[in-house]
Amino acid sequence: MDSTAAETKVQIRLSTRDPGLQIAEEPTVLLVQTSLSRHQLSTLVNDLLHRETRIPFDILINGQFLRTSIEEFLTKNGINAETTLDVEYTRALVPPLNVTSFEHDDWVSAVDVLSQSSPAGRWSGGNVQGGQERILSASYDGLVRVWNTSGDVLATSEAPNNGGRITSLKTAKWISDKKFVAAGLDNTVRVYKYDDDVRTITTSLELFNHRWAVEDVAVHAPSNRILSASSDSTISLFSSNAKENPAAPANLLPNSTAASNKRQKLSKPDRTVPARGALATFTGHAAPVSSVIFKPDDATVAYSASHDHTLKTWDFPTQSCVDTRTTGHALLSLCAIPSRNLLATGTSARHITLVDPRVSATQISVMTLRGHKNGVVSLATDPNSEYNIVSGSHDGTCQIWDLRNVTTGGQVGEGMTGESVYTINRQGVSGPAKSHGEGVKVFGVCWDKEVGIVSAGEDKKVQINRALDL
Amino acid sequence: MSVNPRKRKAVAKEAPPPPESESENELGDGLLEGILSHSDDDSEGSEEEDEEDEEEGDDTDASSIIEGLSDEDEDEDEDEHDEHDIREQMRNLKTSDAPPKRKPGQQTHDMDLDAADSSELDAADDGDDEHLKPNYTVHTDANGNTRYMYQEIDPVYESDDSDAEQTNTIGNIDLKYYDEYPHIGYDINGKKIMRPAKGEALDALLDSIDIPKGWTGLTDPTTGKPLNLTEEELSVLKKVTRNEVIEEGYDPYPDMIAYFSGVDQEIMPLSAAPEPKRRFIPSKHEAKRVMKIVKAIREGRIAPYKPPEDDEEQDQFTFDVWADEKPRDANSMHIAAPKLPPPGYEASYHPPPEYLPDQAEQDAWLEQDEEDREREFLPKNYEALRKVPGYETFVKERFERSLDLYLAPRVRRNRLNIDPESLLPKLPDPEDLKPFPTTCAAIFRGQEGRVRSVSVDPLGIFVASGGDDGYVRIWEILTGRQVWNARLSSEEAVDAVSWRPVKEASILAAAAGEHVYLIIPFALLSPDVEQHSRDILDAGWGYASSKSQTTPAPEDAPKTPPGVWSRPERKLENKGVLIQIEVRSAIKTLSWHRRGDYFTTVSPRGQSSSVAIHTISKHLTQLPFRRLKGIAQTAQFHPSKAIFFVATRNTIRSYDLAKQELVKILQPGAKWISSIDVHPGGDNLLVGTYDKRLLWHDLDLSTKPYKTLRFHSAAIRAVAYHKGGYPLFADASDDGSLQIFHGKVVGDLMENATIVPLKVLRGHKVKQRLGVMGVEWHPREPWCVSAGADGTVRLWN
Repeated sequence: MDSTAAETKVQIRLSTRDPGLQIAEEPTVLLVQTSLSRHQLSTLVNDLLHRETRIPFDILINGQFLRTSIEEFLTKNGINAETTLDVEYTRALVPPLNVTSFEHDDWVSAVDVLSQSSPAGRWSGGNVQGGQERILSASYDGLVRVWNTSGDVLATSEAPNNGGRITSLKTAKWISDKKFVAAGLDNTVRVYKYDDDVRTITTSLELFNHRWAVEDVAVHAPSNRILSASSDSTISLFSSNAKENPAAPANLLPNSTAASNKRQKLSKPDRTVPARGALATFTGHAAPVSSVIFKPDDATVAYSASHDHTLKTWDFPTQSCVDTRTTGHALLSLCAIPSRNLLATGTSARHITLVDPRVSATQISVMTLRGHKNGVVSLATDPNSEYNIVSGSHDGTCQIWDLRNVTTGGQVGEGMTGESVYTINRQGVSGPAKSHGEGVKVFGVCWDKEVGIVSAGEDKKVQINRALDL
Repeated sequence: MSVNPRKRKAVAKEAPPPPESESENELGDGLLEGILSHSDDDSEGSEEEDEEDEEEGDDTDASSIIEGLSDEDEDEDEDEHDEHDIREQMRNLKTSDAPPKRKPGQQTHDMDLDAADSSELDAADDGDDEHLKPNYTVHTDANGNTRYMYQEIDPVYESDDSDAEQTNTIGNIDLKYYDEYPHIGYDINGKKIMRPAKGEALDALLDSIDIPKGWTGLTDPTTGKPLNLTEEELSVLKKVTRNEVIEEGYDPYPDMIAYFSGVDQEIMPLSAAPEPKRRFIPSKHEAKRVMKIVKAIREGRIAPYKPPEDDEEQDQFTFDVWADEKPRDANSMHIAAPKLPPPGYEASYHPPPEYLPDQAEQDAWLEQDEEDREREFLPKNYEALRKVPGYETFVKERFERSLDLYLAPRVRRNRLNIDPESLLPKLPDPEDLKPFPTTCAAIFRGQEGRVRSVSVDPLGIFVASGGDDGYVRIWEILTGRQVWNARLSSEEAVDAVSWRPVKEASILAAAAGEHVYLIIPFALLSPDVEQHSRDILDAGWGYASSKSQTTPAPEDAPKTPPGVWSRPERKLENKGVLIQIEVRSAIKTLSWHRRGDYFTTVSPRGQSSSVAIHTISKHLTQLPFRRLKGIAQTAQFHPSKAIFFVATRNTIRSYDLAKQELVKILQPGAKWISSIDVHPGGDNLLVGTYDKRLLWHDLDLSTKPYKTLRFHSAAIRAVAYHKGGYPLFADASDDGSLQIFHGKVVGDLMENATIVPLKVLRGHKVKQRLGVMGVEWHPREPWCVSAGADGTVRLWN
């Protein structure tokens, strides 16, 4: 059989979902040798496209990336060579190589990127120039740093004055090129002003509504809305505009109690920061809320994921929970995939579940992506492709997933299952990831078109991975 | 040599006068002879008559057989005689007895070689003839036997035997008396008669004589020379004497060739004449014979065959066991013999080739045990039925069948095909019992020395740990970030930490040495939570002070109070350690009441003050037991009732706090209990022991353990139930591993708890023979946190 393998041919029908890469020639059904590998097929597609610059293509057959020759693929999947294969070609995911890492003093809990294409860059209306990308990092030492892409700290926030309380930050997000929000274990959501010219960070607003640590914030600049998810199992809606917010609840202010007031005075605050309360508080979760996002196309709807295994849809006008999706595990992260109307949520059970949040959806889990060895705490979508997402996990890896690379099957109620297409290790770490990811846990990941994949972790570094030749 | 005795006997026989009875005997002889001659005549006369008279000639046939035995000479003599003549002769014989007697006598003489004997016999006979009366008288001897007394012989002239030939004259003396002598007697002249040569001597003599070939001892009458015969002539003579055909090579008994029967032999029929009619007509002669037989049967002359009466059967007694057997209905135990399927092709002696097993199949069949064989025979091919050999296992089969009938009831045989796994009690598959912790999700490093105790806060966000370095540390549960620490003691290890199980406030109790510290880690708390917690702790100050003001008596008493509540030093207070309680001896375990107002501490060396219950709201320490049997190890509150469990080394006692009485004494049978945990349902108790056992007590069931799990290779240090709804429990052992079990408790009393071992969690290193010192479950999730002697705290999910 091996001797005849070289002679065996198979019919393939080439197709792509990228309108810019359609093959003009007809017909698209070709007879090719089964010994062809991905590279040869990619060359073939390039020949057919007659382009000056060659594009590396990935070949998808029946929802699986071709990694070997066609013949081996057919043998492995038990496909008859006489059938016509539907071959989808797509721009290859160029391995995002480790570009640089920014050293911090303490664990880095979150990163966000301000660039032309990032949401904050878009909201700021083209104020962000190309090459002027800024990286925001929140650290467990309670400081927020703004970096340029060369790895220089442009500005560092001052340590907040919270009366001797812990200041570790858990999350930070750009609102615009001049504003960002950060929150953490001191239960306070702070809005900072960043002046790129003088490179200073000043706290402009302190928002009090949480009794326990803030786990995540979401921002929507056009409506000036900030959502914060907290361990006290509530979600608060703030406005980034101080005047819109009501007065802060007195019992949550640092100087509310005698003891804390005493401490507060001892710390001698330099200047006072306006403190405000929340526009709305959403209660309904039974356990810490780990993540919250705005609905991509509708800023009056929010999704939240909680340790109580549920994914809730909130409606702001009515201030109520619209929908609740219960999964089997504590949810640690959430991100929206707008192109497919899906929500990706990372669980403590080491996988990513894709949930259709629409009320009409019957299946709780559309797709399950397995491959991490520890809880998935951060998710981001690929700005270049609507099919890719990146996940950061406590096992110390970031993994890139292609939603097309799925197989049906798996366990009941899990929908389709997928495997990661690429794994990013932390810098200086090689070999298989350990489940506990000690010292290299990834806490936050962000995927920007200009900067690439930015991830932050326990190794006190912000790591940038980028496909260099894109 | 034996002549004389014979002669004597003959004389003795013939001498007595023939009495009537004897004459009868004689007559019989005579009759026989007569019939003999008569039959001979008949046979010679006509064959036909013989056939016809067969029935009557039965006797004749019998006599003719005897005739064959009798002497031929006699036959010849009597041949001519008529039957009547013979009868006459018989009568003469009766009277005279002479002529027939003589003949037999002669016969005897012929047989004897001695001539003298015959003459002597003749003389004696003559004498007998003369007197015709016995020359003896019959007497009765002393023994009552008849004795013949012979008369004296009268030596008359006739008795003179001078002319007699030389005879041995030893008289009536047995020859055996001469055995030792060379002679055998004496002749008339008194000379010794020498013993004739015999045996070896004779043979030697014969050997010495050279007999010429063909010597006959005869003289040719024509030439007068000794007649010598050639070998040929001798063999001819021999054949003549044997009534054989002289011709050389003549086969008197050739193989029969049935010329007229076979087609091969008879090429042409000898006669073309048609089959004669008489062949088809019943034979008149046969009919005549048959009629004769029929007539004889009718007349009773021929009795039809009568089977011999088998007397044996009557004699032999056989007991019929089944004589009284009545047919019974087929009952439930009746199992009909299974109906066998008809034989297939493979059972044929000449099966189609596809039914013949190949070599591999044959080998496989032969290798199999007889019981396992699918077929009990191996299909074999024979060209013809006559080539089929005998059934080789015939005897064996019969024997086994007999054994079966003799010993075995006919039962349906069910082969035991039991998978040993299936005999184990059915436990659910651990896969179905997910979720449960399987992997290490985080390692909390930073503690120096052993970590002795861990506790997860009621919200499930933080983990508190206490260890040998005297620090209490608080960690973020998921990331393993240390967010707070305080050094409670520089000498003593922190043996127990425990969060107050109420969500609204955040109070941590830690025990180091003889002190219990109540901590509010306000750095982690929002102001209102902090304030709430402070309020709870501070409420008791006023109570304690008022109490001490109103009742100063206890202070005056010689006894020191069991617990002294005070504020710790300033440094600690700034960290959030707000209350310090000093008890009499070092505290090892600490456990909260579910409402968070009480907690109990156990200091095993405290004797009477070993178990203390502390009331936060009153800042009061009480010693519920004035005297405790045994050394207290640990104590716990019932999760819903006012029941208090105290574990000593060997027993666990439960007390009703409201009624202040002992409820139950559990006997786990352990040598040294290390820890206990009460199921959140309150009806089950988990006991970990230093003797490597994990015991599950069902409080409703018995005072003895419901289940004993012995899976660890070293002491079990801590046990914990999941309190947040998952049916899980875990134990921590000195072998460095944690074991996770599924322990489902069903509400009703009908069903016992299901206990399934799920997972062994390894990761902690064993240091100085200490492995995992503590284990605690997350309040909601199936995650557990363990404290290791290697200085790490690990989260497992």
